[in-house]
Amino acid sequence: MIWNRWRQHLTYLVMPAFVTWHTLAIVIAPAPNSSELVRTLRAALQPYLTLFRLDNPWNFFAPTIGGAQLRYTLEDGAGAHYTFTPTQQLSWFHPDYIWFRDWHYAIIDNPELYADRAGALLCRKHASLHPVSITLVSYEQGSFTPADQLSGKHPMDPEFIMVNTVKTVECPAP
Amino acid sequence: MPGPVTLARFARNRFAALSRAWSQVLFQDRSTSPLEFARIGIGAALLLHYALATPNLFDLWGDAGWMPRDVILKTRDPWMQSVFYYFGAPWEWVAFHGLFLACCAAFMVGWRTSWVKWIVLVGQISYDYRNPTLTYGVDWIAASLLFILCIAPVGRALSLDRVRVVRAAMVGDLEARLPPYSSAWAGACILLVQIQMAVLFFYSAISKLESDIWLSGDAVWIMFTTDEYYNRAILDALASHYWLVKLATYGTILVEIAFPFLIWQRDTRPYLLAAAIFLHLQFALLMGLFYFSFLMIMGHMSFVRREWLTRLGAAWKRAMGEMEMIYDGNCGFCVRSMVWFLAFDGLGQIKVRNFRSDPSPIVSDAQMEKALYLTLRDGRALPGFEAYRYVVLRVPGLWWLVPLFYVPVLSGVVGHPLYNWIASHRSLLSSMGSRLAGAPRQQQR
Repeated sequence: MIWNRWRQHLTYLVMPAFVTWHTLAIVIAPAPNSSELVRTLRAALQPYLTLFRLDNPWNFFAPTIGGAQLRYTLEDGAGAHYTFTPTQQLSWFHPDYIWFRDWHYAIIDNPELYADRAGALLCRKHASLHPVSITLVSYEQGSFTPADQLSGKHPMDPEFIMVNTVKTVECPAP
Repeated sequence: MPGPVTLARFARNRFAALSRAWSQVLFQDRSTSPLEFARIGIGAALLLHYALATPNLFDLWGDAGWMPRDVILKTRDPWMQSVFYYFGAPWEWVAFHGLFLACCAAFMVGWRTSWVKWIVLVGQISYDYRNPTLTYGVDWIAASLLFILCIAPVGRALSLDRVRVVRAAMVGDLEARLPPYSSAWAGACILLVQIQMAVLFFYSAISKLESDIWLSGDAVWIMFTTDEYYNRAILDALASHYWLVKLATYGTILVEIAFPFLIWQRDTRPYLLAAAIFLHLQFALLMGLFYFSFLMIMGHMSFVRREWLTRLGAAWKRAMGEMEMIYDGNCGFCVRSMVWFLAFDGLGQIKVRNFRSDPSPIVSDAQMEKALYLTLRDGRALPGFEAYRYVVLRVPGLWWLVPLFYVPVLSGVVGHPLYNWIASHRSLLSSMGSRLAGAPRQQQR
């Protein structure tokens, strides 16, 4: 009887404490680090936020939307070039549509971390073409206005695109 | 002058009143139904999402895949943990992936929910942290909601766990009805999901208000011009009527900023909920973000009020009409089957009658000797397979049986013959069941 009463008291103590703690954590996680208070709280909450994967910015489609398109050019032993646009083969209805794009954004943004592995995988994928090298290229879109659309142009037309070489990766000899 | 005893009593009474007010505001006893809808939806979405990833398992999360192990181990925070960091042989990836998919399925149907939910959470976090380049908004919301579902008492309704408990209560008495589970902790967890959704909308709006493309009202135009979301037909319409771009851009910000403030009020909640769901349906249909939109809508389920669900359940029962199953109480197998069947009837739509102790005015005993019957309010009496066929479509807990009774090939090849065989062998099945149980288990009324 006494234990039940204490358990009830304890419940009413623990429940609000946890709700407060968790609420504080999810409110602090996306907050900008502009004040000392936020920095202090974040330091205390960080292990909890990271361990349970709660450290999320919630900045959907902001400050920018989308990213550059990744293409690659394969050079074979005879010096012939083949250009591929991997996202063209993907379907909206399959989650790999987003996985591939996210991977491509990571390669474009951090080639020093991911380009070599991407190149090696692509060399292996196209082994039948006997590739010598893979050149990863980003196609960044520029401004495209409603007038451009009404005049029949496409946002990926060359006049709206800035092309940058991300990295050339040598394929291992067969 | 009040003495110390009076003061102590006054303080205790005040504390008790404060405690009551606190618990009434924050921790009302709630059923877990809103969380169960989220559980079922999130479980199904995760199952489909990760099942589709199976052919690319090693590319996405393997050591020879897109994310080299040394890169992730070098760049990760020590609190970032993934089971994949500790795997070596390929079979370990395959085994864990298989276990994870099985747990997603179990989580969806609510089988052994109290522990499978933790494996689902560990899996979700492990996939995210093994290759963080693949994660986007949907993974944020999936992990956040899963965590709350893990600490919540889910699996107490709309689940096989609930079926098991109800079945155990009905074994002795077919008309026994267990009250729905409710607790203050369930209420607190529903509140946590609601706070999560409100915080998410708030920060989403704030990040847009700090972005030039959103402030200028051009964000929706830019979105559809990107290679990722390009849509010729939509761009043609937007280019001709650019005000639609402004409306959609500012409308999105307006919904997101209004949501965390107006969702709590009784009068405004339905509108905000409808607006948020409409917004996510647009994301799904126009941008192909099906998985993301679906999970967000599952999060919104937490705002569904108890009385809405009660009204919906009552309206469904009214629309479907009364149903009475008449069974043979001397047939142990029939009773056991009836217990299983009724355990899925969460809304209590089916009444039962044992014709041995309570003969039906509509169906004769001679008819009852041959098959189970279902009687309806309009006086119709459906025998055997037709009875089940009628019920499975009208009792939501039995919808999973609909293919067996309605898909022509399944119904013809499996459903009908199976039922006929069981009906003609029920005495044998009863005696076998009794022998297995170690004692005769017949229900007499």
